[in-house]
Amino acid sequence: MEINERLIEQIVTEVLRAMGEPAAAPPAPATAPAAAGVELVLEEKGPAGQGPADEVVIGVGPAFGTRLRKTIVDIPHAVVLRELMAGIEEEGLKPRVVRVRHTSDLGFIGHTAARLSGSGIAVGIQSRGTTLIHQRDLQPLNNLELFPQSPVLDPETYRAIGRNAARYAKGQVPEPVPVRIDQMARPKYQAKAAILHLKETELVQPGAPPVELEVSFKPLN
Amino acid sequence: MRLVAGVDIGNVTTEVAVARLGPTGPPEFIASAITRTTGVKGTLPNVRGVVMALQDAVARVGLRVQDLSLIRLNEATPVITDVAMETITETIITESTMIGHDPSTPGGAGLGVGITVPLEQLDRVAPGERVVVVVGGAHTYDGAAALINRALDRGVQVTGAIMQKDEAVLLNNRLGRRIPVVDEVALIELVPPGVPAAVEVAEPGRAIQTLSNPYGIATIFGLGPEETKTIVPIARALIGNRSAVVLKTPQGQVRERRIPAGVLTVEGERARLDVNIEDGAEAVMRAVERAWPLRDVRGEPGTNVGGMMQRVRQTMAELTGQAPAAIRIQDVLAVDTMAHQTVRGGLAGEFAAENAVALAAMVKTTRLPMEQVASALERETGVAVELGGVEAEMAVLGALTTPGVDRPLAVLDLGGGSTDAAFIANNGEVRTVHLAGAGEMVTMLIDSELALRDRELAEKVKRYPLAKVESLFHMRLEDGTVHFFREALDPRLFGRVVLLEEDGTMTPVATDQPLERIRAVRRTSKERVFLTNSLRALEKVVPTGNVRHLDFVVLVGGSALDFEIPEMITRKLAEYGVVAGRANVRGCEGPRNAVATGLVLACRR
Repeated sequence: MEINERLIEQIVTEVLRAMGEPAAAPPAPATAPAAAGVELVLEEKGPAGQGPADEVVIGVGPAFGTRLRKTIVDIPHAVVLRELMAGIEEEGLKPRVVRVRHTSDLGFIGHTAARLSGSGIAVGIQSRGTTLIHQRDLQPLNNLELFPQSPVLDPETYRAIGRNAARYAKGQVPEPVPVRIDQMARPKYQAKAAILHLKETELVQPGAPPVELEVSFKPLN
Repeated sequence: MRLVAGVDIGNVTTEVAVARLGPTGPPEFIASAITRTTGVKGTLPNVRGVVMALQDAVARVGLRVQDLSLIRLNEATPVITDVAMETITETIITESTMIGHDPSTPGGAGLGVGITVPLEQLDRVAPGERVVVVVGGAHTYDGAAALINRALDRGVQVTGAIMQKDEAVLLNNRLGRRIPVVDEVALIELVPPGVPAAVEVAEPGRAIQTLSNPYGIATIFGLGPEETKTIVPIARALIGNRSAVVLKTPQGQVRERRIPAGVLTVEGERARLDVNIEDGAEAVMRAVERAWPLRDVRGEPGTNVGGMMQRVRQTMAELTGQAPAAIRIQDVLAVDTMAHQTVRGGLAGEFAAENAVALAAMVKTTRLPMEQVASALERETGVAVELGGVEAEMAVLGALTTPGVDRPLAVLDLGGGSTDAAFIANNGEVRTVHLAGAGEMVTMLIDSELALRDRELAEKVKRYPLAKVESLFHMRLEDGTVHFFREALDPRLFGRVVLLEEDGTMTPVATDQPLERIRAVRRTSKERVFLTNSLRALEKVVPTGNVRHLDFVVLVGGSALDFEIPEMITRKLAEYGVVAGRANVRGCEGPRNAVATGLVLACRR
């Protein structure tokens, strides 16, 4: 198939139109997110520093919770963050959220967060939902666990990712979170993923240090 | 000048030794080889493996199989062994109570006692009542926390909680009062409302005190002496847990089914003895020794041991082509172990370690199928094939080529299926014995005690030393030394207990058990099988029946290559004043190739 500029433009226009139509949106996850009725409030608290050993840092991408407020399958970022944090808390560790601003690359987001993390373990997440668990001694493009297909990630998986990250931080040996693979996710979401990535990358500020975020969940009324 | 090959077909490996034989003087060994045995030992499929091993050996000295003048085949000992195990104590669950379980992260701490109430009905509970709240999976932790806090504010005594989801810490962190919370109760719908319940959570690093004590449970629920007896298995199962739930369910909701462990009948030439499996492996082995030599071993029908012996017979019958009823078990080795069993009536698919006994059984077969193998091999190669002497005698001849040993000599052949011993006296007379239980039994014990459910992994745990990957740049070996790496290790190994294979491969052990426990299980499994069998075997071949009267013991066979078994046996036999060590056949083969070498040495000129 010949791919030229016009074809790409066509696809992008169609995808953008589809995104505007609720009917074309993918079905909401079967387990209705408990926090669907809450709003995510992220307050920047200045440059992020090193933390204590009993923490797991969650590094979010430049557009997370601001320009973009939900994942590629419309899970609100409020739910994603709540589940990740709950998974960490349940294991007895403390979650801390930082925004990585100098890159939109998942490996580097996760690795930057891991280097800030007192336990050396971090969860990195892009605004479209792609997630990994990182460790500070690893190469940036390596990872402990990678969840490459954002469309198949649901709230339960985010909870499990948080839980596993905390278990690594405790020196335990968790079973890796099962990674689901949807063969159709790639053709179905590739264009949307590209657009979301572009939106995130536009907010990248080269050289900007990561900032500490104070997270709160306000009930929606 | 003749070219003679000795071939030893073992349960696991086929070994070859090739030598030049002049009219006088000792044979000149020129090559040896080893391959995996193809098919079951003593059956026609063996031929392929033998030919492969022969080709491999002669190719090393630039010859062809056709250049051989004679192939000498071992007269395979017609014994086969099988292993089986069965729990001897009955799985937990009694008529009136259900057992709780041990999630990885319970919440709060303390002991809570009260009547079970579903979260939805908490608002209807009168102030002052003592309740244990049951939180189903539909609730969120903050929603549940809000409801419980409201009840606490009204004066309802919420003393504990049982949750379906893994959210105990989350819930507890949001409550106005710290209460014990047990979570991950998968089958929460089985928790009936309105029954007395007790929830106990210990502080991190501690174990529960009340619910693991039968009298503690009796106190909470006001049980009489008869009822207390029925809850003993529950209390026992909870020992060492960090958290637990016990419910007093209405009579008869969960039934106990008890299969008796059963009686093993040992028929020997000296006695016929009944031994109850509940008395443990030691009692079984005492009976075996008193009745030795054995004619047969039978299990009581309709019991656990009966079923186990039936399976052994069935397997043996299939292997030998004999009728199950005609199978006569010539030796058993019983070993105490633990088996992980699903707790019946449990609320979350719990497992509990149950006492079990593992049995290895050995059967002498009546057929001698080696002759078929020999003629097939002759057709295949065009070289004359003859059956050599008794396998154990050949092993002695081969072992005698170890530098530094002399007659009288005892040889312990530590194999995969059986442990064999042979003793050669000063006058050349040889006494032999074959006992059930060897390497395969060790693998089974490791598999079951660590609940791996993966025979291949268990085999690796048996063979390779352990290490804990502490960071991506260093690991701690099982002896405590630290090994550093310049390059980062594979992140999949991070934090894991790994097996260090010979080629540098690191295989993670898929279990959450600590390195120390895996190591302890590995070592005790080896000791229980090989130390027990080594002493049993030597006692039976020493003319005086006393191991102390031996001078030299050499170890041969595949399990003698193990990194710790020979050292265990050497240390144990040193207590008897016996020099024991790994053989070094012909000064170069180690504990391998003894039978093949012996076959060549025994060749008539």
